[in-house]
Amino acid sequence: MRQLLEFAAAPAILLILAVPAAADTAALERHVDRLAAEELEGRLTGTGGERAAAEYLAAELEQLGAKPLPGQSGYLIPFEFTAGTSDDGSTLALAWDSGGHEWTGVESIQALSFSDNGSVSGGVVFAGYGLVVPESQDFGYDSYATLDVEDKIVVVLRYFPEDLDQESRSKLARYSGLRYKALQARERGARALVVVSGPRSPNAGEIIPMAFDTAVAGSGIVAASISGAVAERLFEQVPDKTLEQAQAALDDGNPHVTGFEIAGVELTLDVKVERETRTGFNVAGILAGNDAQTADKPYVIVGAHYDHLGRGDSGNSLAKQEEAGGVHHGADDNASGAAAVLAAGVRLAGTEHRRHVVLAFWSGEELGLLGSSAFVNGAKSEPTLDPGRVAGYLNMDMVGRMRDNRLTVQAIGSSSAWPILIERSNVPVGFDLQTIDDPYLPTDSTAFNSAGVPTLNLFTGSHEDYHRPSDTADKINYEDLDRVARFSALIARRLADLEEAPDFVKVAPRTDQGGGRDTLRAFTGTIPDYTTEVEGLRLSGVIEGGPAAEGGLLEGDVITEFAGQKIANIYDYTYALDVVKVGEPVKVVFLRGDERHEIEIVPRARD
Amino acid sequence: MTEPHPRHRIRLAMAALLAIGISGLPSAAVAELSEADFLSRVRRLTFEGRRAGEGYFSPDGKKLVFQSERHQGNPFYQIYLLDLETGETSLVSPGPGKTTCPFIRPGSGDVLFGSTHHDPRSEEYQRAELEARASGQERRYAWDYDPEMEIWVAAADGGGLTRLTDERGYDAEGSYSPDGEWIVFASTREAFQRELSEEEAKILEINPAYFGEIYIMRADGSEQRRLTDAPGYDGGPFFSADGSKIVWRRFDEEGLIADVWTMSSDGSNQRQITDFGSMSWAPYLHPSGEYIFFASNKHGFANFEVFIVDADGRKEPVRVTYTDGFDGLPVPSPDGRRLAWTSTRHGGEGGQLYFADWNHESALAALAAAADRSSAN
Ligand SMILES: [Zn+2]
Ligand SMILES: [Zn+2]
Repeated sequence: MRQLLEFAAAPAILLILAVPAAADTAALERHVDRLAAEELEGRLTGTGGERAAAEYLAAELEQLGAKPLPGQSGYLIPFEFTAGTSDDGSTLALAWDSGGHEWTGVESIQALSFSDNGSVSGGVVFAGYGLVVPESQDFGYDSYATLDVEDKIVVVLRYFPEDLDQESRSKLARYSGLRYKALQARERGARALVVVSGPRSPNAGEIIPMAFDTAVAGSGIVAASISGAVAERLFEQVPDKTLEQAQAALDDGNPHVTGFEIAGVELTLDVKVERETRTGFNVAGILAGNDAQTADKPYVIVGAHYDHLGRGDSGNSLAKQEEAGGVHHGADDNASGAAAVLAAGVRLAGTEHRRHVVLAFWSGEELGLLGSSAFVNGAKSEPTLDPGRVAGYLNMDMVGRMRDNRLTVQAIGSSSAWPILIERSNVPVGFDLQTIDDPYLPTDSTAFNSAGVPTLNLFTGSHEDYHRPSDTADKINYEDLDRVARFSALIARRLADLEEAPDFVKVAPRTDQGGGRDTLRAFTGTIPDYTTEVEGLRLSGVIEGGPAAEGGLLEGDVITEFAGQKIANIYDYTYALDVVKVGEPVKVVFLRGDERHEIEIVPRARD
Repeated sequence: MTEPHPRHRIRLAMAALLAIGISGLPSAAVAELSEADFLSRVRRLTFEGRRAGEGYFSPDGKKLVFQSERHQGNPFYQIYLLDLETGETSLVSPGPGKTTCPFIRPGSGDVLFGSTHHDPRSEEYQRAELEARASGQERRYAWDYDPEMEIWVAAADGGGLTRLTDERGYDAEGSYSPDGEWIVFASTREAFQRELSEEEAKILEINPAYFGEIYIMRADGSEQRRLTDAPGYDGGPFFSADGSKIVWRRFDEEGLIADVWTMSSDGSNQRQITDFGSMSWAPYLHPSGEYIFFASNKHGFANFEVFIVDADGRKEPVRVTYTDGFDGLPVPSPDGRRLAWTSTRHGGEGGQLYFADWNHESALAALAAAADRSSAN
């Protein structure tokens, strides 16, 4: 490529352009093969597979010439996290004038995963569904409106009223998360929250499973779930109604139906949650800037998470029944991103760049952005790595399944510097780029966004192997993965050479507070495509044998209406999902090509 | 909904009324074709700024000159040169005022463009436009055929800025002959050169482009002479790759219907190529000389699509793009293997430059299979 020498203005970029493609494809293949190998057992944070992957990445960092970060003796940077919670023998006792009863054992009484440890006693108030819709929502529903729960034990029903019209369901569902209910009880001075799955609800009378919760500490209130049998014993002390009658009175959503004090009963709750602390490892190295002046300039980070789901026990596996428990290989999610960071690192190590470039591999992403959050928080105490001194963070999560030359660039709204940088970096690579402004993403860039760092995330789209054991190395598109790596190196290089660090633009977050994972109880088997901002919700696939597939939905269909609600985007869809009922057919309107179709699907229970 | 870009701007609102009545007849010959038959690796080229468009290649195909609203403090288009190998962009035009319609001079690499930067009111206009946008108002004048618009030329780095035209009236839409010695362009100077009838004076107020005609001059601005003489806006002229022919678009008197025409470079042999009865504009010859790219709203007022038609217009044009929104201003690379055009297919309000690999063989085959134009609507 001799003629290129004419363009003397950008010699270093030419170095990047000149890196031969074939050699990198082989290296990428080696990285993904290694990380997605059976022996690494799905790289679950806190396991030997994660450790082995971390050591592989550290060796590669050393090989390409990156040094450990300032203040670190090696490439591995440990962080502690809660790997799981279990009940360690919680008990509940009821006492009234003529007697009482005590329960132990998780078939009757079990801690909620976010509960504080502690023993509390007090009078009992039944607070209906324990729902509070904030005044800002202009809806008017407050289970505590007429109740004084100060120093009381609050007993509430799980979920939200069962017989609501769809609009009310959509309002109330958002505020029916257990953590949110616990918060409301705590704010009103209650000593504890006790939750029962009502006889008229799905999972009636069942103990709530201890959800996977990575919080290091409790939520500031003692909280437990009880079986239907325990609740019924409690309601025997209510003179005029059974639990079922009390629930039925609430289920049409009439805000004037109130809870009541259960007089003459003293409830004692002793909750013991065992939190297992483990250690995970981020892996990071630094490529020093070549300009002596840049030592104290904000630096650039290129990163990707390298952890995955292990055997899928932590709750976010989408494995089908027959593959459940198998190694989740995570080749695309996110061995592809980790490999691309290494390949970008090789290119960047071979070229001049003014600012420092940090290459980072996060762990704990699948458990809730644990590693990147720990880095962002921990780095604040290490002056050279203060997040205020990060010029920009470029993340890659799932970049190995490119189809039709399409690459999604997310979080572009987080800095006004991005459009021109993206434009210039893409010209030599030539992707069909889809840009998305929203920086609130289910990946590590979000940890940096909350610290005020401009972020970008690259993504080649979801697919039917997402979060399943079948996300394997043989399905990776290595040629295009190499182009993604090259693109990321070009962006990082341009970012590293900017005179002024990019500005940070705070994008207003979507206001979907209150809802939690545990409110999502209907399963439809749709895989939303997060990469397009088309009007409606495009499906990047449907789960085989799921309700959507059975109803006739296919990959590529664009849902425009769901359960009577217009669907303009993924958020609308999430809310619409909140309100569908298990076993009740929902009307789905969708576009297949230009054609409008209408079908019914029947959601199933998700546990 | 979007508007065509300045080189080819016309009054869309009126045209809409007409297009509704006339367009929409499907063409049997192209029914089974799709965009993928002609275009591959479709991708968006520009991301910065509210809009960008009118990309034209350098003779070696390594650069693209275009206009974009991305200059700090100036809401109007400025001219940029994009290096297609490194992705670097650089400002060519001086910064203030309105600019449009760039073209790279073969041989020297200089860039010509229309500009009003010499107008002392430029900054005032920029401020007014920025304020109007900030207050969310509609732009009162989208493109006003500013009579101050003149053709300028500068080196690729913006140096040596030289004025080539000096006539009251809109002078723009210029492009070079393949040897770099001649420039064809459009001008409304006639409206300011002779006494207008009362009726013409009224037209000048409502539709100044009516007076647009095609002119030719030497690259240094000398020997300016007129090539067309028909009422209605003639504009957007480009030479064929062998320099023998000029392709341009001609509007009818009302400014409602436009068609693609060709003529010899001396103005003789004027020939109408399209007759959709809608707005067919922005023509550009493929370097093979076999066919002409153009854009038309035949399939719906707001739905401009790219078409190709054989160079003599003997056959029905063949549709190339099939994506909602605006697709127009198609320009092939000098090797005839790539296409740059302007589109709103990303869903934004403003057009941006798009780029794709062009399948020349498919194009020839589709044109060969197209029906004779005698059977056209
Ligand atoms: Zn991931
Ligand atoms: Zn994941």
